[in-house]
Amino acid sequence: MKAYLRVAVFGAIAAGFTLTAAARDTLDPGDPDEAMLISNKLFCDNEEGKPSLYWWKGTMYSRIPGEKDRHLFDVHGMNIRACKKFEDPVKGIGFRSVSREAMFYIDPETGEVINEWENPWTGEVVEVVHVANDPVNARRANWSRDEDGNGRINFDRYTIQDGIAMSGGGAARLFYENPLSGDYQDYVGHKYHATEFLTMAFPWEDAIDASKTAIQDAVISWGRISGWMPWMKMRSREGLVVFYTHGMRLHDWSELPDVIRNEIETNYPVYMSPPPLDDDRPNDTSWTVFKRYVDEKRAREAAESEGAE
Amino acid sequence: MKFQCRALGAALLVMVGGTVSAWAGERFDLDDPNDAIKVLQKQICSLNEGEPVLHWWQGSMMSRREGERDRKLFAVQGMNMRACKNFDDPERGHGFRSVGREVMLYLDPETNEVLKTWENPWTGEVVDVIHVANDPVNMGRPLHAIAEDGTPYSFRGTFMKGRVISGGATPLFYKNPLGGAYQDYIGGTYHAMEMGSTNMYEDELMDSSIPAAYRKTISWSRVSEWLPWMKMGDRGGVVFFATVGKRAAEIDDLPEPLRTEIRTNYTTYLTPPPLDDDRSNMTSWVSTKQAIDAARAADGNESGGE
Repeated sequence: MKAYLRVAVFGAIAAGFTLTAAARDTLDPGDPDEAMLISNKLFCDNEEGKPSLYWWKGTMYSRIPGEKDRHLFDVHGMNIRACKKFEDPVKGIGFRSVSREAMFYIDPETGEVINEWENPWTGEVVEVVHVANDPVNARRANWSRDEDGNGRINFDRYTIQDGIAMSGGGAARLFYENPLSGDYQDYVGHKYHATEFLTMAFPWEDAIDASKTAIQDAVISWGRISGWMPWMKMRSREGLVVFYTHGMRLHDWSELPDVIRNEIETNYPVYMSPPPLDDDRPNDTSWTVFKRYVDEKRAREAAESEGAE
Repeated sequence: MKFQCRALGAALLVMVGGTVSAWAGERFDLDDPNDAIKVLQKQICSLNEGEPVLHWWQGSMMSRREGERDRKLFAVQGMNMRACKNFDDPERGHGFRSVGREVMLYLDPETNEVLKTWENPWTGEVVDVIHVANDPVNMGRPLHAIAEDGTPYSFRGTFMKGRVISGGATPLFYKNPLGGAYQDYIGGTYHAMEMGSTNMYEDELMDSSIPAAYRKTISWSRVSEWLPWMKMGDRGGVVFFATVGKRAAEIDDLPEPLRTEIRTNYTTYLTPPPLDDDRSNMTSWVSTKQAIDAARAADGNESGGE
């Protein structure tokens, strides 16, 4: 297999990037531009604008020293994405993704999406603010080659065995200014502190199949460890939340499980499709969305109390 | 790119599993607890009694402490070698019990070398690394189609798009073998959560003529307190693992350096324990206690000789 790769790389250099994959049955991971076509198939679709849908479900637990972890919620999440394609004489092929992402908190007993929750530690009933991030976009196109025309895409992160490609085992360790905290976070704390970890497995033959613009048979797991969700109103109480989920790519909307499909169709219909390909809004995160939610609620309450006077 | 590729893929694996006819067997009926328990057995090991079943996984172990970005402390590579014994009970139907051995190595995150010692970045102390080497990891009793309390077994998995995915999170909170006799009063209880996900193909899993789910990938994670050998004491923080892996046909399929390490230093782990193994299970905390106790005894002998 390694010998095949070397031959393939040589062939690709000889042919240059103008060689279209359609001339062959398989994409060549040693060719920078074809490597980009393989890479973009994972979470997106090489057909410009065609929506890609991922879904996952799992649990959210609390972790507090001194007590057994509590199963607070089940969760169902989804991301709907599309890519715009670019071509450049030096930088080769580029894709920029635009997407919307939602994840709902579900009562583990009833299986229903819940909008109010009684915090077992404080006794307070709080409004549940689901994850609804619009947009979650790539800031700019991801190119197959750098400014000097050298390939940028490799598959070192993937292990291929028995025809199955796997990635994961690392984590995005996030530690940055918290949009909900003040201007002195290095001094008094409360920075945004979370880690997200994703694994993925898919048939390598689908990845290199030139006739397929997307890898349909992909399974994922996703986990996240962070401080309390802001809407839980845990203030500075010690503890963490731990998400663990698994899921897969879906062909289309109709395959989404009822609980999440109904919720989106009823209350978040914009999430049924990706944003426009030229979307240039700044990205949402759960923390920025929450800040907007609190700020709007405070403004509303202020206006109401003024009106009442 | 790590090509450990056998081009024939699934077809070859089916032959390895001892069945060539394949794909055309009768479909299991999940409403029948005798079938449902066999589906679970295919997921965990094999319907072929005694067939060695190998899984591996790789990834990393990270720390999380308040006030600092999480650190990647180690790369990890693990393997489990397992087999199942079949049971047939007139009242409780088909059953199986797995016996296994498990290794997980802590590797330098930069060089991927197997670590012998590690400099704790918070305490500055250089400590001996105690890798996971648990022998055995067995099911206590067989699982039957009908549980001891009469409940019929039902298989929990998500069937979508020709795929079957199963798994979830298991919170653990029990007496710490390294803790004292008053853990409810002063703390130190073992506190962890194990998380796993298994991905299979429905056609293979549900076909009664195929003995196991060979086309299977896994991911495994765990959140726990510091590993005892890190000597972090009461310092705040947790460690967590993120890994991905799969079922494999043979030791040659293990990633390096795990493959060489097993062949060289963990040869017992090349095969599963005997099917009737009745030893009590080993956990990392128990094996660490044994290692500490042995080291203390050696020290004691030395000082006793003075």
